[in-house]
Amino acid sequence: MDFTAHYDMFLNEEHELLRKTVRDFAEKEVAPHIREWDRTGAVAHEGPETRAHIRPIIKRMADLGLLGICFPTSLGGAGMDYLALAVVCEELERVDSSLRVVLSVHTGLNSMTIFQWGTEEQKQKYLVPQAKGEKIAAYGLTEPDSGTDAGAMRATARREGDHYILNGEKIWISLADIADHFIVFAKTDPEKGNRGISAFIIEREMEGFSSYPLHGKLGVRAGNTGAIVFQDMRVPVANRLGEEGEGFKIAMAAIDSGRYTVAAGATGLIQASLEASVRYARERQTFGVPIADHQLVKRMISHMVRKLDTSRMLVYRAGWMKNKGERNTRETTLAKWHATVSSFECADDAIQIHGAYGYSDEYPVERYLRNARGAIIYEGTRELQELLQADFALGYRENKPLRNELPPYSADDWE
Amino acid sequence: MHIVVCMKQVPQQNSVKINTDMSIDASGIDQIMSLFDEYAVEEGIVWHEKLGGKVTILSIGAPAWAEQMRRALAMGATDALLLSDPAFATLDSVGAARVAAAAIQKLDAVELVICGRNSTDDETGTFGPALARALGWAQLTYVGKIAAIDGGTIVAERHLEETVETVETKLPAVLTVIKGINEPRYPSLLRIRKVAKAEIPTMSAADLGAVVSPTALAGRVPPPPRPQGEMIAGADNAAKVKALVQKLADAQVI
Repeated sequence: MDFTAHYDMFLNEEHELLRKTVRDFAEKEVAPHIREWDRTGAVAHEGPETRAHIRPIIKRMADLGLLGICFPTSLGGAGMDYLALAVVCEELERVDSSLRVVLSVHTGLNSMTIFQWGTEEQKQKYLVPQAKGEKIAAYGLTEPDSGTDAGAMRATARREGDHYILNGEKIWISLADIADHFIVFAKTDPEKGNRGISAFIIEREMEGFSSYPLHGKLGVRAGNTGAIVFQDMRVPVANRLGEEGEGFKIAMAAIDSGRYTVAAGATGLIQASLEASVRYARERQTFGVPIADHQLVKRMISHMVRKLDTSRMLVYRAGWMKNKGERNTRETTLAKWHATVSSFECADDAIQIHGAYGYSDEYPVERYLRNARGAIIYEGTRELQELLQADFALGYRENKPLRNELPPYSADDWE
Repeated sequence: MHIVVCMKQVPQQNSVKINTDMSIDASGIDQIMSLFDEYAVEEGIVWHEKLGGKVTILSIGAPAWAEQMRRALAMGATDALLLSDPAFATLDSVGAARVAAAAIQKLDAVELVICGRNSTDDETGTFGPALARALGWAQLTYVGKIAAIDGGTIVAERHLEETVETVETKLPAVLTVIKGINEPRYPSLLRIRKVAKAEIPTMSAADLGAVVSPTALAGRVPPPPRPQGEMIAGADNAAKVKALVQKLADAQVI
């Protein structure tokens, strides 16, 4: 069964050709190696990121144009829309979450944020090479003592003439050891809480920057995750993104883009669990029949189908709103919450269907479970998403207009 | 230079169901570009990039097949022509070659036709040679490398079972290419945007003025069962090998 059929209220021929291209790439160039790549992240060792597979596969994604999928060609992008970004994320995470993570941090959290908030000079200097995939980008908000409570961050940025002096540490940063550029947040006015936070575009090459990888992760082991440290790092004022004190708003707007990629990726992960389960349930026999004939196996499969279609519909609704230039914080949050929680449940059921085989990495489903878990924590915990939905419904929360909204998609102008 | 690449659709999975009359039931299975045809498309695009002109993708198939033709266009082909007619449903490879030849003769100044060495469903490997015959052109099969196309001639390596033959022939010619002649590229995202809505020009049997000779299939039989093997007895390996060699010699295999 074609699980992506009949979405033509959202998608067109362009998206279908794109889906086939990305699927082809992921199945040919990643799927045959992913078990080994994932195992390299399970080895408990210390020291710098030395794994050889990470940079080449990102380079291949860049060569294909995936990293700049949803930016105008005039800015080095592929000129496709925000739904195309969802399709890419789905198809990448259908093979492994570590690939989708690249889109989340490089494209969603960083490049889309420069696209939304950057000056023309910042777009030319940073977004264009990022959209072309010549430079890799990431995002640093979380600190050792500050996650959901971003206002508790300790990183500081002290103005000194034409520069800011940044000090602090950001942790759980995807591509910490790989990315060339980062958007990071630091307090320019520690007295003002959230209103004292500012955003900066920084480069790995800036003096005072260092990074180190984190080891021993439960999932997304094929990818690089680490920490970045600023020690009296001098950042030109021209690299401040947005106004001074506007950093918290920028961080939250960035997460609207990041969560969207996470939600789309989780949808791909659900599809992977479902496809693996359907395949195995038809092959494996017990009591003289394929296990697909047992009702309780059917139930697990039918629930996966329900979660797949609902997740996809929610993601595409959010993407459709992004295309129109409509604020979508509530819709994106709902998609992210529903899709990520569902992806973990589906991977869990997929293991159950595979029985003991699902418990080892002979089959991919245990990797799906480990990979699914992180997204229930990062880019807004499950609990935060629940509170947001209630607050919107109760009228406690509304989307206040931003100084800069994410530009709507325009087929003609983006060509 | 005008290059034509012939592209066939085949069922994606090898695990198609077999009907009771032993025909293939491909219903519900995605159709994809035949493996060797991907290499043909890539080779056509590579030489088009060197020589300029046009590279036209030619297919015989249902209108839904336009999607894969768009993929070839997104890879870098400049033109596409779909030959679609209910009468084409029962063509065998010689019949298909005649239809394709009629279309090629209607196109502008085609000098080179590239096909896959065989399709991955029927695997006859006869379409390319039959097309060359129908056109009255030279044929080079099992091409693993095109060394040069220059001044109305082509130099190519034919990768045969035990030898590599370097051959030269005058154009126009029909080539069939093997796996590994190149590394087929992915469609370019920028081209996907351009071709996604492109109408694929289509011609019917009447448009071609082609004589369509339907193939009547007389019947299908299963292959004969494999004869039982024989274990060679002997005191030790040396004795067994000696006995084996003797048997092969007796059977005039060696």
